[in-house]
Formats: sequence, structure tokens, C-alpha cells
Amino acid sequence: MKFGKRLKQHVQETLPGWRDMYLNYKDLKKLVRLISSSLEYGKSEAEFVYLLNNEIEKFNVFFMEQEEDFIIRHKELQQRIKRVNESEQSSEGEYEEEMAKIRKDMVDFHGEMVLLVNYSNINYTGMAKILKKYDKQTGGLLRLPFIQKVLEQPFFTTELISKLIKECETTMDVLFPTVVVTEEMNDAMIMMAGEGIFRNTVAALVTMKEMRKGSSTQSHFSLPALNLPDSEIIRAFQLKSPIPII
Amino acid sequence: METQQALSIQRSDATQLSNHGTTRSLSSPFPVHHSTSEEKQPRLLDSQQSSTNGTVGHIFSSSSGTSSDLHFSTVSPNETSKKSPFTTQSSGVLRSTAFRQFLKENNSNSWSTDSLSDFLDFPENSPIKSSNLQPTDNGACDLPPVDFPKPNDWQDWADQLITDDDATTPNWNDILVDDTEPKMELQVGGSSTNSLELKQLVPSSPMTSIPSSCGSGSQSKPRMRWTPELHEAFVEAVNKLGGSERATPKGVLKLMKVEGLTIYHVKSHLQKYRTARYKPEPSSDGLSEKKPTPMQDLSSLDLKTSLEMTEALRLQVEVQKSLHEQLEIQRNLQMRIEEQGKYLQMIFEKQCKFGIDHLKASSSFTLEKSEAELTNEISSSPVLTETDPVKIGSPCEEASSKVAKKQELEVEVEPSESQPSKRAKLNESSTESS
Repeated sequence: MKFGKRLKQHVQETLPGWRDMYLNYKDLKKLVRLISSSLEYGKSEAEFVYLLNNEIEKFNVFFMEQEEDFIIRHKELQQRIKRVNESEQSSEGEYEEEMAKIRKDMVDFHGEMVLLVNYSNINYTGMAKILKKYDKQTGGLLRLPFIQKVLEQPFFTTELISKLIKECETTMDVLFPTVVVTEEMNDAMIMMAGEGIFRNTVAALVTMKEMRKGSSTQSHFSLPALNLPDSEIIRAFQLKSPIPII
Repeated sequence: METQQALSIQRSDATQLSNHGTTRSLSSPFPVHHSTSEEKQPRLLDSQQSSTNGTVGHIFSSSSGTSSDLHFSTVSPNETSKKSPFTTQSSGVLRSTAFRQFLKENNSNSWSTDSLSDFLDFPENSPIKSSNLQPTDNGACDLPPVDFPKPNDWQDWADQLITDDDATTPNWNDILVDDTEPKMELQVGGSSTNSLELKQLVPSSPMTSIPSSCGSGSQSKPRMRWTPELHEAFVEAVNKLGGSERATPKGVLKLMKVEGLTIYHVKSHLQKYRTARYKPEPSSDGLSEKKPTPMQDLSSLDLKTSLEMTEALRLQVEVQKSLHEQLEIQRNLQMRIEEQGKYLQMIFEKQCKFGIDHLKASSSFTLEKSEAELTNEISSSPVLTETDPVKIGSPCEEASSKVAKKQELEVEVEPSESQPSKRAKLNESSTESS
């Protein structure tokens, strides 16, 4: 039940428009239980597969929509930067102001893209788990071939998004002036971590860490535990979170 | 017919692909949306190549010119035997043709040969398929639970298989080569076969048309996967037409001259584009509303605050970067795990078959021999060496458990922290754990 709980938590904390787009892990689990005790093996498997394929379709549709949006926004941000740099009539103040806006937007944009990759990964993990459960409980051989198919789905092939993310990072390296950080800044920053996309990404990181803690079925096939640098931000977030993270 | 031709055109390119494992030959015949981001793709392909090379090569060499079921089934023992235990288990229940379809679709990329034999055995499959697909708005299918939402492409091929044995052989080879393609290419519906063919002609604007899984009849609604290059072409066209407000979908479509692109695609994309321009980065969480201080006053505010802001942003980026990094690592691991599983499964079944043959001869000598061979093969396999608990058909299981026991006795097993699974742990012995 660990994954299920984590998934539920994550869905609660994620962006509002995304909540319905995640895997229906709980329902699928129930179905697997049902199937393992039913006698109508062949037909139930067909239904199970049908549902899984529906889920995949859901992921694909959502993922590609988002991807399209990101492509557009990416280009737009680049245009904005170009325009700001080229317009020489604006004053220093206006320039700074516009750049600040662009910086903020860029960072949030970066965050959203990372969250989409996270979305993809969580759903994949869920699928792998539910298939494993299915095989285990019904003695089927569905997992291996099915997961091969999943690996090739658009929602899992996140290369383009990763590329956009890296491009974003390169641009940001240029955009962000280097400043020395003081202690007061740290507190302000921790406060800001409680809001917006930043909050979502920190939450996702924490969730990921939790998901990869040792499970009862840990094997050589399991992913190793996640070792994150013990950042203050993450700790602060964990303290702030109303959901008890064990 | 059309499909057939389309695929046979690409055959030569596809053949190259399987031999060289490059993406370049891919990008022209087959729409690959990330043909430009080749960094990751070749690696993925290469890794897949290395694990499936045997299979693909095997089938290529032996399937030339023949179309008999028997031949196909012997060609790829791993494929067939993978399927047969499964069917043996549920043999009592699943004689329905619909279920067979499910099976086939599940063994997607590696299903060509065994599904071929199935198709030929059950000609009644095709009529069932053709009647059941109903296009809906966003491409999702409302299908009766038993049937399967799949593109009518397979219908066409099924028809062809039943009617025209010889001609289908080359198709299956092509599909096999598609093994290394992203699955979305195979979900091509009727409408997008155009894009398949014409990809060769218009290589400069890489586009992937991914129809919804119910491809039949929904020619106007195939799902499109946009790329930055395609978007660039779009923007250029829009600018030529006087900007996003003045440009019309029809005009843009005409200017772009990208085959397979429909006005529906352009329309929805244009809508998104307009929204993005006139409401730049609305900060989806509404964070901007939380800040009461209007941006104009930023310059007059404490310099410290603006620095704090920038630093906060920087920190946010760091967190996001590390999340992304972790996600990439995780994804790579997951892919490798599955690849391993596939490889081991193949090896195992090979040996299984080999083992059965020797069991029939029932000599302990041969069993030891097969076990030694198995040990050799497994020890030469890459790092992760434990298969997923794979339950195999009964004849196999006997052989494997015997082999497993012998191996466990003979080979030193490093005690792993993992809980032993309940199934045949054939490969436990070969685990030289990391």
C-alpha cells in the first residue's frame, strides 16, 4: 500500500489541472484482487488489459498536450528575452523589471516541465507495479511483454522535454547574476519554497525519496534508495507539510 | 494495400537500421518526433539492438520467401514459447478470438511471428475488429470491454494476411524491424500512412502523426506530436501571414506544406499559440496574485528584496534541477531493468527449449551440459542478472528447477538482501551482485 499512499499524497499536492491525469492505481489494484479470485481468467485479463490501455491513452493525450504547450512557451520566452534585449528605448528600471518577470516565468516554466517528467515517471512506476502485482496474484505472464510496450509510449519518451529543460537551464545560467547569499536571505527563501511551482517541485522530490525507501519486495530489480543532499529547503518543507511524512 | 506499399518502400532503410542501429535512417521513413534530439535515441536503440539483435537477425535470415506458419514458429523459438506457456495456463478459458487479439497486442513489438500464425489460424478475427471502432472527440474510444481499441492498421494487415500470404511476409519483416521504433509509430492509423511515405520526401520538417488508438474513420482527429522544428515552421508561416491574429488555419496549413498535417492540428495549435502570446506565463498557480506589490515599484523597493527574490528563484532552479536529474537516473535504471528482464527471458527460454529436448533423451549428462551452457550464457550477461519472477509452462519448469537446483549447489551464491521470490529462481546462482 505504500506506493498507493504516496501516489495519493502526490496527487493531492500536485497542480490542480493534473489531478485527474494520474494512474488509477487503487482501482486497478482492486481489480487485480478480484481477478485473482475469479475463475473467468481469460475474460478478466482482457478487461484488465483494456483498462490499462485506457490509462496509457489518458497519459499520452495529456502528456502530448502539455508537451505542445511547452514547446510554444519555450519559444515565447526566448522571444521575450530577445525583445527586451533589443529594445533600447526602455529605461534601466523597466529593463530590470521585465527581466525579473522573465526570470520568474522561466523558472516556473522549468519547474512545470520537470513536473511533467515526474508525472511520466510516477505513472510508469505505477504501471510496472500493478503489472507485477497482476503477475504475482494471478500467475500470469502479462508483465514483461506489456511493459515493453509501455516503454515506447509517448508519455514515457520524455527526451524532448528533457532537452527543453536543459536548454532552459542554459538560458538561465546567463540570465541570473551571481550574488552572495546571506542568512536573512535563506529565511526568505525558505518561506518562498512554500508557494507555487516551487512547492510542487519540492514536494515531488520528497515524494520520490519516500517512494524509493526500502520496500518489502526490495530486490535486485528495485531502484536504490534516493540520497539527496540534505538541503535545508527540503527539511523545512517536510516540517511545514501537514501530511505526516514518516 | 497502401500500407503494404508504404512499408515495403521503407524496407531497405529499415534493413539498414537493424544493421547499423542509427537513427538517421529512421527519421526519413518513419516519423520519429525526436529525430533531432538524437543524443538519447541512438543510445536507447543501441541498447535495444544489442539485446534483440539475435532475434531480429534470426528472423530476417530465415523468413525470406516462405510464409508457412510452421516456419515462422520455428524461426523464433523464444517468441513462440513465450506465448505458449501463457496460453497453456488459460487454455481452458480463453478460446475467444477477442482475447487472442489482446494477447497479440500485448506482445506488441515482438509479436509479429506468433501473431502471424494466429492470424492465419483464426480468420474470423478481422471482421470483428472492423465493426467495433468508434471515433470520439479526443480520440478516446468507447468500446465494449471485450474488444480492444487498436488502430485499423492491424485490421488491414490481418485482412491481408488472410488473403495474401506471400505478400505479407515482407511486411512482417518490416514490422520486426520496427521493433526498435517507438511504439507510437506502429499505432499509425489509416490517415497517417501518408506521413509515413512522405516523410522521405519532406525530411526537413520532422513530424509525427500519432492517431488516437481508434484510428478508423477519425481521419480528422489523429493526435499529433509537435516538435520545436515544426513549431518554428508554424511561427514562420504565421508571421508571413501577418501575425497570430490575422493568420488563418487554412493559410498556415498551406504555407507550412507539411504532409499529414491537418487543419485540425493547425487550428488547435494556433489557439494555443494565441493564448500564450497574449497572456504570457500566467503563472499557473496564481502566485502573481499573491504578491500585492506591483512590479513597477520593484526598482524603488529595497534592493535586498529583489536580491532575495533572485536568490529564491535560483534556489528553486537548483531544486528543480536535482529533481530532473533524479528522474533521468530513475528512468534510465527502469529501462535497463526491463531490458535485462527481456534478455534473460530470452536466454532462459532458449535454454528451456534446449533443456526439454534433452529431457526427452533423458540423460543426466546432457542436463549437466545444458546447465553448464546456461551458466556460461548467464555469466556473460550484463550487470543486473536476476530475472523477474517468471512463471513458465510446466515442461519448462521442471527443467529449470532441476537446472536451478544444480546450479545453486555448485555455484557460490552471494546472499542477497532481497526476499526470495516464490517462483523458480533459476538465475539466483548467477547473481554476482553489485
